[in-house]
Amino acid sequence: MTTLFSDTAPSPSPPPRPASETAGRGPRPLRDNPVLILLAILLLLAALVAMVRLVDSSAQFTPDFLSEVVLYALCAVDLTMLVALVFVLVRNIIKLVVERRRALPFARFRAKLVLVLLGMTFVPSVLVLIVGGELIRNSANRWFSSPVDEVLSSSREIASEYYEERQTAVSRHATRLARMLAADAIAARDVATVRSQVAPDVTEGRVGMVEVYQIVPRTSPPEVVSVFDVAAPTLPGDHVGASAERLAARVAAGNTETRFLEPLRSGGELVRAAALVRAGPGGRPVGVVVVSDYLTGELARHARRIVGAYEGYQQLRVLKRPLEGVYLSFFLMMTLFILVSATWMGLYLAKRITRPINMLAAGAREIGAGHFDHRIEPETVDEFGSLVDAFNTMAGELAASREKLERSRLELERESLEAEGRRRYIETILKRIATGVVSVDSSGTISTMNSAAARLLTLDAAAVGQPYAEVFGRSDLQPLADLDRLGRRQQEAGGGQEVALEHDGREVHLAVAATPLRESDGTAGTILVLDDVTPLIRAQRVAAWRDVARRLAHEIKNPLTPIQLGAERLRRHFAGAAEPTRALVEECSSMIAVEVESLKSLVDEFSQFARMPAPRTVPSDLQALLEDALSLYHGIVDGVAIVRRYGDAVPLVRVDPEQFRRVVINLVDNAVDALTRQDGLRRADAEGVVTIETAHDSTNAVVRVIVADNGPGISEGDRVKLFMPYYSTKRRGSGLGLAIVRRIIVEHGGSIEVDENVPAGARFTIELPC
Amino acid sequence: MRALTCGLVMVLGLLVAQDGSATEAAGVRVVPVAREGRVLVSFSMPDALTDELHEAIQSGLPTTFTYYVELRRTSAIWPDRLVASATIAVMVRYDNLTRRYQVTQMQDGRTEQVIVTEDAVTVRHRVTTFNRLPLFSTRPLRSDAEYSVRVRAHTRPRISLFAWPWDWLRRWAALGSAKFTFLP
Repeated sequence: MTTLFSDTAPSPSPPPRPASETAGRGPRPLRDNPVLILLAILLLLAALVAMVRLVDSSAQFTPDFLSEVVLYALCAVDLTMLVALVFVLVRNIIKLVVERRRALPFARFRAKLVLVLLGMTFVPSVLVLIVGGELIRNSANRWFSSPVDEVLSSSREIASEYYEERQTAVSRHATRLARMLAADAIAARDVATVRSQVAPDVTEGRVGMVEVYQIVPRTSPPEVVSVFDVAAPTLPGDHVGASAERLAARVAAGNTETRFLEPLRSGGELVRAAALVRAGPGGRPVGVVVVSDYLTGELARHARRIVGAYEGYQQLRVLKRPLEGVYLSFFLMMTLFILVSATWMGLYLAKRITRPINMLAAGAREIGAGHFDHRIEPETVDEFGSLVDAFNTMAGELAASREKLERSRLELERESLEAEGRRRYIETILKRIATGVVSVDSSGTISTMNSAAARLLTLDAAAVGQPYAEVFGRSDLQPLADLDRLGRRQQEAGGGQEVALEHDGREVHLAVAATPLRESDGTAGTILVLDDVTPLIRAQRVAAWRDVARRLAHEIKNPLTPIQLGAERLRRHFAGAAEPTRALVEECSSMIAVEVESLKSLVDEFSQFARMPAPRTVPSDLQALLEDALSLYHGIVDGVAIVRRYGDAVPLVRVDPEQFRRVVINLVDNAVDALTRQDGLRRADAEGVVTIETAHDSTNAVVRVIVADNGPGISEGDRVKLFMPYYSTKRRGSGLGLAIVRRIIVEHGGSIEVDENVPAGARFTIELPC
Repeated sequence: MRALTCGLVMVLGLLVAQDGSATEAAGVRVVPVAREGRVLVSFSMPDALTDELHEAIQSGLPTTFTYYVELRRTSAIWPDRLVASATIAVMVRYDNLTRRYQVTQMQDGRTEQVIVTEDAVTVRHRVTTFNRLPLFSTRPLRSDAEYSVRVRAHTRPRISLFAWPWDWLRRWAALGSAKFTFLP
């Protein structure tokens, strides 16, 4: 029974999912870290503030710094952000397209969400950029207006003209003094003479200061040496003498630039001009006069302020485009910042929204696939978190229900297997037992039929499922056709009843029991149990016949000797009588003696049948036994050929050699007799052949011995009674030969059957267990 | 990411190619002469002082014209090898009060000459034309070898609307060049 349960193990439940495989339990990405997100936002805000401050203080930057550094930096940042924006957009658009093509869950929803957020940000941002850009350009154009331009230009002209006039005046003084100064006095470094010539200009207030230098002869480049200088007391003392000397040296060297403005630390400026002192008209230069005049600090400041304002205005005009570029770049940067932020935020939000839904969908799929231990880690404490909790609870309950179901299923499966085992067990028993069992359901249909029943009733498996009445309506099964009657008779008799069936001329005796199957709701059908009692009947008959034979032998054999002795006495008594009498007595006594002998041999056969000893079996070589038996026929049977067909590897069989020899001789005798009888049944032109075959059937563990002839054969009616005692087809046969043969074979545990030989004759098949 | 990098490289290549064509269009005339142990370089770039730059000068902005002059040994197979280089910078500052230009010429960061002039033509000449500047020594030069002198230039301050990041490439694009064979 154990094997019945071993072939169908219960189906294993799905293995538990590893924790790492469950959704949402992997390492959280950086972008989901709130601290990092906060830090990134703070950094961006700091960068934004820095940019705003940078733009605020752009007015203080030098044009170089503005156009080279600030503008470069802003443009670089803009370009980087543009590239980042394009990259983020293209990457995510491709991703969304791929997700939609792959029909990933919520791809369409994510795409819509991102597009809506982008659209909501992109349109106003670009509009603000366009309007803001135009605003900046217009504002820059408004910086410059004709009145301001004219005022500044005029002011600068006035200041410049004033300076020009002062410089021209100082130059004129220098030229006049250079003409007036005596070259000899300078060459001789006559300070008194020089002073007398130049000092009045200073003292009379025409100029602020006069310095006279001598050109050192034969120096190249020419060097100058101070000869005399005089300054007005109002002149600030923080002027630098070296600058006048440098101017003198430059002029002495032939430089045409004779004027020079020297800013003073006190705030004013010295207007200096130099002129060459020549030794006569067109003569060689011997000295240089440097005349300086003082411009007050207030005046210089005003002039410088005017020029500064003008230059600032003009520089603004020149740098208008880079400045516009700075503001536009900043504006563009802000727009791009908003766009990148919006794009990223859109994607981030879409992910934040769809991620839990995706996880729930994936979780549902996992649950659907039978992974009831799948859980989702809640990432938020909002409604999505509650949803995830509810999902996990549901998954837990499902897992518990599944476990219960699984247990029930296993229990059912176990019970089913047990029932199946029992069924197979019963089926095996029914299959193996010799008792035929036929079950008929309540509708009168044959439900089951074991092989013994099929064999006894000569039915095949196709009868199962057929109506009982139809199957048992066959002529040879008529005694079993009325199931109800069988049931009633069984009840009346209180047990089974014997039914004789005839199949192919062979009589089969069956003990039949028809038992109704009763259930609580009524009759569920009938069980027909069939026992083959043919051997029992046959044995009973044989026993009866043996008893009869013993009695006959006893009753007949006893009077035979007196009869025989009486006949002898009569013959001897009438030996001397007259011839007719003696001849009559002689004839009658001889007839009595012959018949008595015949009766004796008949009685001997009866005795032998009645007192047949139990076989003493030894392992024997059948082929040798057969040859021994067949040797008796060698040369004594004319017109009959004995053909031997011995099988290979026929094993030794436990038989009583003497009894087996008797069986063979009996069968061969019968065959020869059938072939030599001139009853016209055998064709005259055909030679009589007796075939002896042996074969080993390893499947059924039997050895078959076949004795066949091509004689007239045995009719179907004779075949049925052939093995019965005292039945013979011969004129003088006792009818015990084949009965003895069957008895010997049966007592050896084997069987003997007779069939029609093909193409003609009879065929006896003996099966002996080996 | 790889595709993006390839795209950027292609765009950069196109821009460089555009710069190269602009260089040829500029047509700077360069004349190198080796004499008395020095390589004297003359070059002229009349278009360097544009109207916008003139305005910038007149507005009192210190305006600098910087020329990068390179002496290279030419090669048919390999890229030309740099032998020596010099940077000529000319800064012009206009004083709107005195109406004078102060032109300061520097070589490799060293002030070579400072002039003050009222003449705008002189200033234009000073910032665009350079005659026989003894920039390089002939000592590292090999006899009968071919050399080239390349001139690149750029001006400050920038007066364009945007400063494209690839503008710096223009600084490294030669505006003019001339070859010569050194015969000692």
